[in-house]
Amino acid sequence: MSDLFDYPFLVRGFISVILLAPLLGGISHLVVARRMAFFSAALGQAAITGVCVGLLLGEPLNAPYGGMFGFCLLSTLAMVYAKRRSKLPPDTLIGVFLALTLGLGLCLLVAVTRQFNVHQVEAILFGSLLTVTDADLVLLVIAAIGLVVLLFRHYNDLLLDSLSTPLATVRGINSAYLEYGFAIVLTIAILVSLKVIGALLVEALIVVPAAAARNVATGTRSYLLWSVLVAFVAGAGGLLISTRLLVPTGGAVVLALSLIFFLTLAIGSLRRSA
Amino acid sequence: MSKDTLLEISGLTLRPAREALLTDFSLTVERGTLHAIVGPNGAGKTTLLSAVLGLIPFDGRIVAHWTGRGRMAYVPQQFQIDRTLPVTVTDFLALSRQHFPVCLGVTSATRTRISLLLERVGLGGIETRTLSVLSGGELRRVLLANALDPLPELLILDEPGGGLDADAARWLDETLVSLKGQMTVLMVSHDSEQVRRIADRVTHLRATDAHRFGGQAREHPTNPTNQTNFTNRRTHEP
Repeated sequence: MSDLFDYPFLVRGFISVILLAPLLGGISHLVVARRMAFFSAALGQAAITGVCVGLLLGEPLNAPYGGMFGFCLLSTLAMVYAKRRSKLPPDTLIGVFLALTLGLGLCLLVAVTRQFNVHQVEAILFGSLLTVTDADLVLLVIAAIGLVVLLFRHYNDLLLDSLSTPLATVRGINSAYLEYGFAIVLTIAILVSLKVIGALLVEALIVVPAAAARNVATGTRSYLLWSVLVAFVAGAGGLLISTRLLVPTGGAVVLALSLIFFLTLAIGSLRRSA
Repeated sequence: MSKDTLLEISGLTLRPAREALLTDFSLTVERGTLHAIVGPNGAGKTTLLSAVLGLIPFDGRIVAHWTGRGRMAYVPQQFQIDRTLPVTVTDFLALSRQHFPVCLGVTSATRTRISLLLERVGLGGIETRTLSVLSGGELRRVLLANALDPLPELLILDEPGGGLDADAARWLDETLVSLKGQMTVLMVSHDSEQVRRIADRVTHLRATDAHRFGGQAREHPTNPTNQTNFTNRRTHEP
């Protein structure tokens, strides 16, 4: 373990995991409560398209945030707007957006690979600690602080709105404001996590911690604590696996997450049968 | 409008789909009464409540003439929660009763308030149970407890007796009767026996229109200083 800290990029990786665990674990249980898991998957795919747009517009390969953030924000606002206006089920609408952004992303990826080596783009798709910079860590800190502030101010409203929008509306809560606001925060959380986890797998770190926490949580407080704990243990464990076995960080983290999920599933079953 | 009028609905047209569900509908709810809306499935009872609650757009005019607390509370017909969501009764009731995030803990003052509230609806001791394990009747009581604190000026109930056994239905009747005078109650019900037992006024909705009986439709100028106009939707004044 001690040699882990001999390399600056591994130190940055470990710090990013410490920051990502409360960020994604904290947001995870609200994402699942608000049934936005598929929305997260669509945003991860939109990020790939956003990266391509940014690179084609001349952004540097190690910080393609402009295109990524711009495109994902646009996709987020469009998805929430369509969801609120259309009578179609949300998953159908999000499926349409996912297909659209993925199709566009694949077309643009071909154009991008004419300028860059495809292996350079792989880091965005699968996550790589080697590409995490000090500026990325600063972004992570800002995003984590923003999330804590949001949770402190609006957590109760968000959860009540997730349980019953009519009850929340009668209490004077602006459901539209919450839905757009939370979707934007989720977009930012996903974007700042991409370099570590990768676009293809970021959804896992948004959904699995909450899913694992549900197996063992007995109330809202333990639900949050378990989500954060699962995200942290999987993040740190994935980091170790990734550096020891030289596999992509995102894949290793998701493997660790899946292992923890099945472990909590077994614990939950045992507890219920006891 | 009489000074005893709390809720005034006029020229209301509801179109949840292409065809209008209610057309040019008018209703006056008197202060301190228990006003029931009855009618067959598809007549628009729940949709009417949704319009009053501000959940759907409509054409027409809905005005509440508040005199005191100016607060509306609602007990929905359905409250379908994810069975795996670990939200306890205390967590749920605390969401509307403390600013501190419930995921970080429920304050002792809020816990005391919730315990008293649950005692009031005959559910003392269920604080740590999750919502998903409650029976339909228990959940209905928890929702009623949630609606009664703080005391609203207008309580709106959608099929409050649905799924209740005889004892629970009797308890509900007694509770609603005891609330008369403290607040105005507007409820939708399929249960004609319950309506006959406890309602002061009844509005019957037919499948395509509304036919009113059991009350006087009195129209007076509104007092702009004491009214809440439901402004977040389309309205037209005569």
